[in-house]
Amino acid sequence: MLKVIHLNKTYGQTKRSLKDVNFTAQPGEVTAIIGPSGAGKTTILRSINQLIRDDSGQILLDDQDIRQSNKAGLRKIRHHIGMIFQNYNLISPLTALENVLHGRLGAKSTLAGVFGMYSAAEKSEALRLLQEVGLGDYAYQRCDQLSGGQQQRVGIARALMQHPKMILCDEPIASLDPKSTKIVMDILRQLAQEKQLIILINLHQIDIALDYADHIVGINSGEIVFEGPSTDVNDQVLQQIYRQAEQPEQAVTANEH
Amino acid sequence: MIENSSSNTKSLPTLPATKRVTLLTKPRLILRGVLLALALITIYSLITLDRAGLKFGEAFQSLGVNLKAMFLQPTVGQDTWALLLRALATSVGLAMLTTLLGALFAFFIAVFSARNLVPGWLATSIKAVMAFIRSIPTILWVLIYSVVMGLGANAAVVGLTFHSIAYLVKAYSESIEETSTDTIEALKASGVGFWPIIFQAILPSIIPALLSWTFIRFEINFANAIAVGAAAGADDIGYYLFMASGFYFNFHEVGLIVYLLLGVAIVLEIVSMKLRGHYLQKN
Amino acid sequence: MNTKFKSPQQFFRQRRLRLGLVFAALLIIYLVSVIVVNFQTLTSLAQVPAGLVWLFKNFVPTQQSISYLGPILYQLWRTLIVAVSSTICASLIGLILAILGAKTTSPTPALRWIIRFSASLLRNIPVVAWAMILLFSFKQSDFTGFLALFFMTLGYLTRAFTETIEDLDREKLQALQAVGANYFQCVFCGVLPEVASTLTSWVLYMIENNLRDATLVGILTGTGVGFLFNHYFKQFRYDAAGLIVLLIAVLVILLELTSTQIRRAIA
Repeated sequence: MLKVIHLNKTYGQTKRSLKDVNFTAQPGEVTAIIGPSGAGKTTILRSINQLIRDDSGQILLDDQDIRQSNKAGLRKIRHHIGMIFQNYNLISPLTALENVLHGRLGAKSTLAGVFGMYSAAEKSEALRLLQEVGLGDYAYQRCDQLSGGQQQRVGIARALMQHPKMILCDEPIASLDPKSTKIVMDILRQLAQEKQLIILINLHQIDIALDYADHIVGINSGEIVFEGPSTDVNDQVLQQIYRQAEQPEQAVTANEH
Repeated sequence: MIENSSSNTKSLPTLPATKRVTLLTKPRLILRGVLLALALITIYSLITLDRAGLKFGEAFQSLGVNLKAMFLQPTVGQDTWALLLRALATSVGLAMLTTLLGALFAFFIAVFSARNLVPGWLATSIKAVMAFIRSIPTILWVLIYSVVMGLGANAAVVGLTFHSIAYLVKAYSESIEETSTDTIEALKASGVGFWPIIFQAILPSIIPALLSWTFIRFEINFANAIAVGAAAGADDIGYYLFMASGFYFNFHEVGLIVYLLLGVAIVLEIVSMKLRGHYLQKN
Repeated sequence: MNTKFKSPQQFFRQRRLRLGLVFAALLIIYLVSVIVVNFQTLTSLAQVPAGLVWLFKNFVPTQQSISYLGPILYQLWRTLIVAVSSTICASLIGLILAILGAKTTSPTPALRWIIRFSASLLRNIPVVAWAMILLFSFKQSDFTGFLALFFMTLGYLTRAFTETIEDLDREKLQALQAVGANYFQCVFCGVLPEVASTLTSWVLYMIENNLRDATLVGILTGTGVGFLFNHYFKQFRYDAAGLIVLLIAVLVILLELTSTQIRRAIA
């Protein structure tokens, strides 16, 4: 279980981007964070694996506080948290298989990592994971020859290669067409259920969030304004989440990081 | 003559002072200024050039005679084919050696001078040192090292390598900086350390750029190797070129040597084309 | 792709084999070069730090070297203007050749091949060879250096300009032709304004490059700052030689910074 308690983050002197954020995410469930652009969705996600250092609060993953760990400890924790990105962030000249194997690098010694020494079992597992996301035939293709949806599935396989407890998804479908969106979201929901993973997704498409997520966290201007099962989300809740920010939002969403 | 090109900016009939239509944007204005300044320097330079009492008619005539001797009647002169070919091999060897050594050192230094990998102050200071080394002509480095190590191959290699490193660090670190920070972040997020990211993520992404820069440097180093032979007495083809033209005045031999150098240049051109074609195709 | 049905083990074995071959080839090239050149790797590398220490001890300009400042600055200035003027002259002729030789603007293919070939010939004759050939006819004068740099630069810039013009979007020219512009109008109103900043950028790059090469040419032809360096250097007046090195470095860096600024401003 992931528990975020009293998380605060300030940029610069005055601008507070997260104000006392509290929420939980359960294994086996898809949890979606929704809210207008600039509300702090990305900041929350990146605070969880400490790509962004937050100012105060607690982030408990299975009762272990991520914020308290030292550099080596953090690397270890990060290794158990998969992450997928809007722009997939694969190493494009490498094959799909090699990119999936990168999921193991965090568990290796520096030397083994530098030379990319993987065991036979790891290689077979990488191939099996690619088959699981439906890309068995593309294992030896360079990633820049794959479509966006396929690249995102390679990204998911890379995250799974880490044997994660949790996968953080930062706008995973923002650059995808509707068909690929469905494939990717189906895979994520299936993973949550079958592998009992915590799946935490930033989304700006409300309909997708309501379709796929079990649990919704609504955020506005760095504050949690709603947390509950997706069945509880109604028009009034949505208005509260998206208040004041309706007009400029659509234009900038795609560029949000 | 580039200035003349935009003759469409010639003064238009004066319009009311409210808004003059002008096609002269600021970048164009600066461009013209720069070209004008360069033109003035050139004219000044051509007027004041030290001619040392040259008679141009005679000089060009003698150049014509020499060029004819070179290109139409090349011979080995007082040296032998074996000697010249061996000297040519030395030049190629010098170029390869210094490029390889330079590339190896430069890669590791470049890692520490890429802004997306290390703190800004470190990157900036390494780059500044490299810029300083680079700004001093290669031949001076070789001459300086020949005092310490004695005239010959060792000084030539060290001097050439020195400049190669500084040149390649700049090229490599810029290539590294072009890899997206997002892909680096993706691996950081899964707990991967510094060196594995370099070798597993960055290196594969920039290999084509590295190859092409390294090859460019190889061509430069070949030219430099000849210069070193001529000006610092390394025992390569440059030395024979220097002796044939400056000492024996045998332009037939100079012609042969120039043909040999052109031959190497053609081979290099073909290899570089094949190498790039091969690599692009493979991936 | 015929790799589809490989197992990961096979795939990685092949990849390792290929990598191994590349490394073996590089190692062989290295070893052969070491033998051909007769280079003592370890001895030489071990001497590098000592060399640097020596450099800092002996090459640092002293109070006394200030007295050499006058002639040094004068020769530096001469070298700079030779580098500039040779580049500018070469760029003017190079531009004409490039317009006649570029695929998009060339009047006839035959001319294109002749220009290509000559440019490649000029470029591939090393500047050392140019200097030595010209030295005989033009003696120890600035003009020798000027011509040597001029010929080499002409080769480089003709090629660079040709490629720049060929990179130009064909449709832009067609748009002008559609308006009814003739050949010269196309070239002067369409091509040149479009490529002016890129070409200037190349010219600036060549000036930087020629300043460095001018030093070398100077050593060979006994002119400019290269000659002065050689002169002091051979008389063991290392502090003066060091002052020259320092001033060359400062000048080159200044030139680099200026041209970066100019490039940014005209981009």
